[in-house]
Amino acid sequence: MKLFTKYSRVNIVASILALLLGSIGYYFIIRSVLIHQLDDTLKVEEAEILDYVKTHDRLPEPANYRDQQVHFLPAQTETPRKFTNANRLDQHHQEDRYYRELLFSVRAGGQLYTVSVATSEEETEDLLEWIMLVTAAMILLLLGTLFLANRLLLRRIWQPFYNTLEGIRQFNLSSRKPLPARDNGIEEFKNLDSAVEQMTGKILKDYEMLKNFADNASHEMQTPLAIINSKLDLMIQDQGLGEGHLRQLQAMYDAVGRLSKLNQSLLLLTKIENNQFAHADPVALAPLIEDKMVQFEDLIRARNLTVQTILENGKLRMNAYLADILLNNLLINAIRHNRDGGQLDIRLQEDALVISNTGPALLFDPATIFDRFTKGHHSDGTGLGLAIVKQICDNYEFPLSYSYTSNIHSIRIGLLLQH
Amino acid sequence: MKLLIVEDERTLSDSIVSYLKQESFICDTADGYASALEKMDLFDYDCILLDINLQDGNGLELLKELKNNRKTDGVLIISARNSLEDKVSGLQLGADDYLPKPFHLSELSARVTAIIRRRNSAGNNILHLEEIHIDTQAKSVTVNDRSLDLTRKEYQLLLYFAYNRGRVVSKNAIAEHLWSDEIGGAANYDFIYTHIKNLRRKLVDAGSRDYINSVYGMGYKFA
Repeated sequence: MKLFTKYSRVNIVASILALLLGSIGYYFIIRSVLIHQLDDTLKVEEAEILDYVKTHDRLPEPANYRDQQVHFLPAQTETPRKFTNANRLDQHHQEDRYYRELLFSVRAGGQLYTVSVATSEEETEDLLEWIMLVTAAMILLLLGTLFLANRLLLRRIWQPFYNTLEGIRQFNLSSRKPLPARDNGIEEFKNLDSAVEQMTGKILKDYEMLKNFADNASHEMQTPLAIINSKLDLMIQDQGLGEGHLRQLQAMYDAVGRLSKLNQSLLLLTKIENNQFAHADPVALAPLIEDKMVQFEDLIRARNLTVQTILENGKLRMNAYLADILLNNLLINAIRHNRDGGQLDIRLQEDALVISNTGPALLFDPATIFDRFTKGHHSDGTGLGLAIVKQICDNYEFPLSYSYTSNIHSIRIGLLLQH
Repeated sequence: MKLLIVEDERTLSDSIVSYLKQESFICDTADGYASALEKMDLFDYDCILLDINLQDGNGLELLKELKNNRKTDGVLIISARNSLEDKVSGLQLGADDYLPKPFHLSELSARVTAIIRRRNSAGNNILHLEEIHIDTQAKSVTVNDRSLDLTRKEYQLLLYFAYNRGRVVSKNAIAEHLWSDEIGGAANYDFIYTHIKNLRRKLVDAGSRDYINSVYGMGYKFA
């Protein structure tokens, strides 16, 4: 539930309750005021009757008007003076009506009478009805205004919050920009914005530091690797070394080779991430793929692969070096993880590059295939080749996907060739 | 042939010196910007091996200095920063080649020899290995004046051996030389074996001695 929905719901329920209770109270107060007025007119009538009796020592003519009725009843005992509400039949309308009645005793001509002065409450009731109707209309109007105001005002007041939220959602580490705090005139949102600005700034700084660390560490490793390599190169010149020693040296060579390859791949990955290959040219992919196939002919022949290439002409605007690495890694991957005598299909279409190869199913979760250091146990690769492919595709926003059906691995890159 | 090795990592420059001096190179070393500048001023070298990241300066500045003084020494840049920009700016400043660290000494030796040969050839492109003659311009090989039909890889292999004559060259170095970095791992040792087998057969068939010896399956030696 949205905050302002919740807020207006509570607000409106509370308003309705308060208005309801208020109206009930209002009704009773108005009513008692009106009754009091009726009582006053009855008292005036009583005074007039008493005055008449005092002067003439006889009862006045009972005068019944539409709104006021006076009755005299002979009585044995004195009736205490009191106001009552009575229900009487109205002769004119043939229906029950509420009356306000004042009973009192009077002695005229030696006879005790109970006098009843009654006045219809009809007008009072009418008035009350109108008052209540107007009140109800006011309540409805108030609720409506309240609801609309909440909706419009709250939405406007919360707008900076939604802006900040959208900013956080769009926040991208590689854009290198912290979310700026905007002055939106509301203290709480200003605080939120500046907290978000600080946080994103810190995240960026940490990220930058971590990346620089990786970059520096990789560079610092190159020289020691060069030293180890050079010492190995010198050691194998020693004529006195036996086969056993040379085998051990071979293992060291391989390990150092892997380490330097790994190091170079990590460096490359960082550079691509840092957008250090920003320069872009239209690159003709088809000739590049054909070159690669010549370059890899040894590998392909050794594995006895059947190669099928269907290449559309067309150029793609990207960095030439990255295009080379992209194809290189994809093809090496498809050759290395093929089976002997398997197939390698390269299809370059107007809208996609699809590279498929035969091979056993993955031993790891296919969703992680483009992650760093994801590789099968048998693989002697660095586990970075496809991560680099992914990074390049991410930089150019090429959609990249992997699928495996009927023993064929396929990697598809969505792109748009231009002519 | 006189070389200057500008490298602040002592151990590495020692390795380079002991590898290259076997190839009748006279090696001078400088372990920093200042000493390198001094030596470059005083002597002429056939080739200068230049590390870019020096403790007290940038190797590229040395290169600028060298070119400003109209020196014609060959320059091979060796750098731990394998970056395209360094490579491009180095070559633009007049360096002959660029070799990123880590490298194999055999690769270094081949590059240095190639640079010196290129600069000194003056019409003479023929490399003589006894009865084998390699024309580095035409990329052709003759044995006892009989032309030899080699594939591109076999030619590269032979030239590599020629530049590292008498020394054991590891399979790893050969693999990196022939396929650069594209194909990592041990997967390509089989191809090396195939190429070397073919090269040996072609040379022997053409009447050459069998110069290429295997060293316990870990490398080869042309002797």
